[in-house]
Amino acid sequence: MSKAAAQQSSEDPILQWVTFKLDNETYGINVMQVQEVLRYTEIAPVPGAPSYVLGIINLRGNVVTVIDTRQRFGLQGTEITDNSRIVIIEADKQVVGILVDSVAEVVYLRQSEIETAPNVGNDESAKFIQGVCNKNGELLILVELDKMMTEEEWSDLENI
Amino acid sequence: MGHFMKQATALSHGPQLALQSYLDDLLFDATEGLQQVEPQPDELSAVALDGQVQAEEPAVAMPLELADVGVATEAFAHPLVQVHRPRAAAAPLPAQTDGRPAWADEPFECLLFDVAGLTLAVPLVCLGSIYSLQGRELTPLFGQPEWFLGILPSHSGNLNVLDTARWVMPDRYRDDFREGLQYVISVQGYDWGLAVHQVSRSLRLDPEQIKWRTRRGQRPWLAGTVIEHMCALLDVAQLAELISSGAVKHMASAAAGATDK
Repeated sequence: MSKAAAQQSSEDPILQWVTFKLDNETYGINVMQVQEVLRYTEIAPVPGAPSYVLGIINLRGNVVTVIDTRQRFGLQGTEITDNSRIVIIEADKQVVGILVDSVAEVVYLRQSEIETAPNVGNDESAKFIQGVCNKNGELLILVELDKMMTEEEWSDLENI
Repeated sequence: MGHFMKQATALSHGPQLALQSYLDDLLFDATEGLQQVEPQPDELSAVALDGQVQAEEPAVAMPLELADVGVATEAFAHPLVQVHRPRAAAAPLPAQTDGRPAWADEPFECLLFDVAGLTLAVPLVCLGSIYSLQGRELTPLFGQPEWFLGILPSHSGNLNVLDTARWVMPDRYRDDFREGLQYVISVQGYDWGLAVHQVSRSLRLDPEQIKWRTRRGQRPWLAGTVIEHMCALLDVAQLAELISSGAVKHMASAAAGATDK
């Protein structure tokens, strides 16, 4: 790598994002926070759990809480299909699963390609939109997983 | 989001009645205190309901030949028309003491457009470009206010599109107003655009034709009303500034607080 290229790389790093679909829109999450992607498996409901928790799954002997991503994003619920996936992520020092309609691909984005999203919503959910990016003719909505829940909610998850 | 692409003609006369009532309210504000003889409100309603408002022929400043422009099918929306007439600063010009914006010192050109049957006028100096929504979908974002329709990728960057009808007549808003939106008009200097049903024509307005609002209050984006053309004049630069500055979030909070009480 030439010196100029190295300098450009450090100033404008390339980031990898795992993209998934919800309600025909494409979202991206930082690949560094994704541990694995699972086919849909039975989710055991947890009595008394918050509404944004679908339940728990057994992942090779470990209990993983699965979050209702649609509810979190203010979307209506939908049927589970063959494309439904549970993405195991690490956020706020916890390992949790997020249920999505489908997982698409891994895309490479330069930092400079990411544009800020409009900041006009008072809704809590608006805070976890990290930015948007045009890629391959469609608009990706980049999600900041750590902000997907408040500190209190992350804390509650630990106790489920 | 195919419903955006339905034809504007799908709107029934019902919404038009509601809109006429809204316009009547605006005109009532505007005509308060005027001493000259004016038509009775019933006459105003009847004229507008028939869609027969015919003012004297305006000086057409810039014809919009939208029908001759092909619809882009690329990833980015290309402007059908570059509306903006350059001026020194993109930020809103300071208003004069009588509520008249600086761009209205002299006769100025306006674009007329329709939103759910209501005709609105905006000064060309505040406008950027006109984009067609035909064959395009807006990308919605969760957690945003209802008046945020979504993002339209355009050649000059992402355009945040607002639901104009919900802004100008929130109390009379109906969900079917979101149907048949055909164009997005961008605001010069901002990454915001207004979704509209139809772009009509341009005309030159004399500042004296307009009843200026001296107190913008809760509607700083409403510059005044043009009785001759039965339309409201929007200060879209103020509207975009209100949104971009984040002030609109405080307004929403205040409104919610007032409702709670």
